[in-house]
Amino acid sequence: MMNNVFENITILDLSEDVAGSFCARLFADFGANVLKIEPSKGSKLRKSGPFFENDPHHEKSFPFFIHNLNKKSITLNIETQIGKTIFKDLASRSDLIIESYSPGYLKSIDLGFSDLEKLNPKLSLTSITPFGQTGPYKNYKSSELINYAMSLIMSISGIQGQQPLKHAGLQAEYEGGLFGAGATAMSLFKTDLTGIGEHIDVSITECVASTMMASQSIYPFIGGTQTRRKSEGSNSGQAAQATKDGWVVWQTGGGASWEDISEFFESPELLEPKFADRAQRISNGPEMDEIVENYMKTKGKWELFYKASEARMLFGVAQTPAELMECEQLKSRDFFHEIEHPYLGKVKVPAELFKYSNTPYKLRYPAPTLGQDNIEIFENNLGYSRQQIIQMKELGVI
Amino acid sequence: MTNKNLNSKPLEGLRVLDSTYVFALPYAGGHLADLGAEVIKIEGPSRPDVTRTGGYAGVFPENDHGEDWWNRPSTFNLINRGKNSVVLNMAEEEGRELFRELVKISDVVMENFTPRVMKNWGLDYPNLKKLNPNIIMISNTGYGHGDGPYSSYPSQATTAELSHGMANLTGYENGPPSKAGASFVDFLATWTAIFALGGALKYRNQTGKGQWIDIGMYQTGVMFISEYLLDSQLNGHEPERIGNKSPYRAPQNCYPTKGSDQWIAISVDSDEEWQTLCNIIGSDSTSELRKFPHLTDRIKNHDVIDQHITNWTSNKDKYDVMHLLQENGIAAGPVINSKDIHYDEHYKARNFLEKVDYPEDRKMGTRLFLGRPYKLSKHPLHITKPAPKFGDHNEYYLKTILGIDDETYDSLYERGLIADVPGDREPSPTFDPAKRVESKNLADWDPDYKHNLGI
Repeated sequence: MMNNVFENITILDLSEDVAGSFCARLFADFGANVLKIEPSKGSKLRKSGPFFENDPHHEKSFPFFIHNLNKKSITLNIETQIGKTIFKDLASRSDLIIESYSPGYLKSIDLGFSDLEKLNPKLSLTSITPFGQTGPYKNYKSSELINYAMSLIMSISGIQGQQPLKHAGLQAEYEGGLFGAGATAMSLFKTDLTGIGEHIDVSITECVASTMMASQSIYPFIGGTQTRRKSEGSNSGQAAQATKDGWVVWQTGGGASWEDISEFFESPELLEPKFADRAQRISNGPEMDEIVENYMKTKGKWELFYKASEARMLFGVAQTPAELMECEQLKSRDFFHEIEHPYLGKVKVPAELFKYSNTPYKLRYPAPTLGQDNIEIFENNLGYSRQQIIQMKELGVI
Repeated sequence: MTNKNLNSKPLEGLRVLDSTYVFALPYAGGHLADLGAEVIKIEGPSRPDVTRTGGYAGVFPENDHGEDWWNRPSTFNLINRGKNSVVLNMAEEEGRELFRELVKISDVVMENFTPRVMKNWGLDYPNLKKLNPNIIMISNTGYGHGDGPYSSYPSQATTAELSHGMANLTGYENGPPSKAGASFVDFLATWTAIFALGGALKYRNQTGKGQWIDIGMYQTGVMFISEYLLDSQLNGHEPERIGNKSPYRAPQNCYPTKGSDQWIAISVDSDEEWQTLCNIIGSDSTSELRKFPHLTDRIKNHDVIDQHITNWTSNKDKYDVMHLLQENGIAAGPVINSKDIHYDEHYKARNFLEKVDYPEDRKMGTRLFLGRPYKLSKHPLHITKPAPKFGDHNEYYLKTILGIDDETYDSLYERGLIADVPGDREPSPTFDPAKRVESKNLADWDPDYKHNLGI
């Protein structure tokens, strides 16, 4: 009887960034036994804001909390001789290691994939880094902005004449985590059949660039380079438009005809050929924008959203995080699960990415506090005595 | 039906029925084909994928519709690489019967109809399971199945981006919410499907059971702003739009470099890195810039700092600035556009773009397409073959695999239940690229692209 798809999988999570941590969390979410291995001062991600109560305490980082759900944590200095021995012992009993160090680092401390696979042939290693394990930029420094800049998406986001624009938050890091989890899941499936693991090299910039299918392929087909949207007008639904109380966007398509759309905006003049005809509509964009914006600025964004959706129009309403926390659609999908955390208190956690019919999602534990499982792992699983554990602490191993 | 041979690709022996449209799951199907799966793209005779027609199609080779324009668009060809094509009218019971026969001999069914469609056709998971108990079904919809208030609403990535919360957080300082230039959330669904399928395959391998994977694109988008949801819920904080800046790193921004619409992104992580940058910029700026040794000073005086950096970058090549700063330990990278990626030494070294040769009769020559964002050390992968012509594998699947006789096949064809030319469609118009540059619909046009790419 299996209750979760990854319940027989043991993962060591060495990653200190969002991408690797999110990747490991996705496996933990669907049943994997994931052990976060942190340096004694804690993973770098614990220093990432925003923080609970704006207090930069290592147990109060929201990014650390959200990307380490359902995991356990031990501290271990893998650069020490004893630390290496313990790590190898854990690796020999595991299925997968996930890491995000600069390429070559693990090898330099004799923990590269070729060292580890000797101990355990079914072991796989997923490395998620900004530029991947090979190529001239592999050890270049990066950040979310740099990942974004170098992966096509920024060149077409924002407005012409202004800077290319990054999207909010850590979209590239999240993509690295999700796409890396996808590639890893496929490889683990193969390992199930063969008993042989492998090294999975994931590049965050390639993750983002791989989504730019409409953009990249223009060049080898006609020699064109895509650009950002023009500064004037909505450009057929590329720009948000104002309502009485917020921003919305609409597009043609979905199930609504142009007649339906004209009726939605209560503007029969939209039926004139200069708007009704697709080609003419593009050149008469500004005039059309004025008609629809005049209508929408008298209405509320939610009123418009419901009316448009019932009319089967493609329509988006700019929601704030506070609005999303109250969203009935998300609730109906069990998107949020509640859990108690020793520092954050009761938290409604963005939890379910999707639904499996046979093996439902479970939020088993919140993100671990630093080294919370040292005793369980070192004493119960690895068989060290209390005395030895205290000694290792003194030597800076744990 | 999977392969235990170590050297075979991870999904060799797996058969996938891909009855999906537009970007999200079709691209997942393309990636599954790269991984070795046999992917059968199912389209309707009068319902070709919208990436073959209309505004989603992209462009045609050398801007030429050719004779079979529906097989030639750029976006369709990138996404649907490696697949086979069967064209079947699922709106008719006879078409659905053939689909059911294919379900019986497949491992995975993917679909992205609005929730009621497969149910009305008797092709929802409970019904498919009766035909094939270990079938894995993947459904992708805008808002997910179930009884939620938006479940039946139409949706697509470019409007969903406002609803799932990203656009409200994105934008220039003091400006309106801003959308991605691409269909952002589609690709979150693409990879959610791949991850979920990997798990379902492992589960099936161990239990013999299939299952249903229900993806709602909306919630995948919301998941990607999780830290903002916590900040709102637990701190009551609603963030402002801050362009390319960061609350934690400064200076961080995008600066103009030599050439038209050329940019370098720079992101300084520490006071030490800032000192290094001041030294590199040198000249008159240094003493002015040294007034801001700490992060808080730099955040407060970001605009002044940006002006100095802009003065320094604006007459330099974007790649030169990257190499110089990176050699000095500062995170920097050029804004790479859809031309640059074809010539960038790093992407080239990793063979990220792959050459696909079309057979003579396709008259498509050789094209380069995005590969995969990962490498498997023991399973080198490549795009296996070009995207299929519409209905190119009708005969193989219906006659050879399902064993339908010639007479029945011809009758299906005559009655329009199967087809190899899409009914009732016009190609999207082509525009002169030089004129598109003039009207600012393209940033640039390189008339020598084929020669420069060696294709």
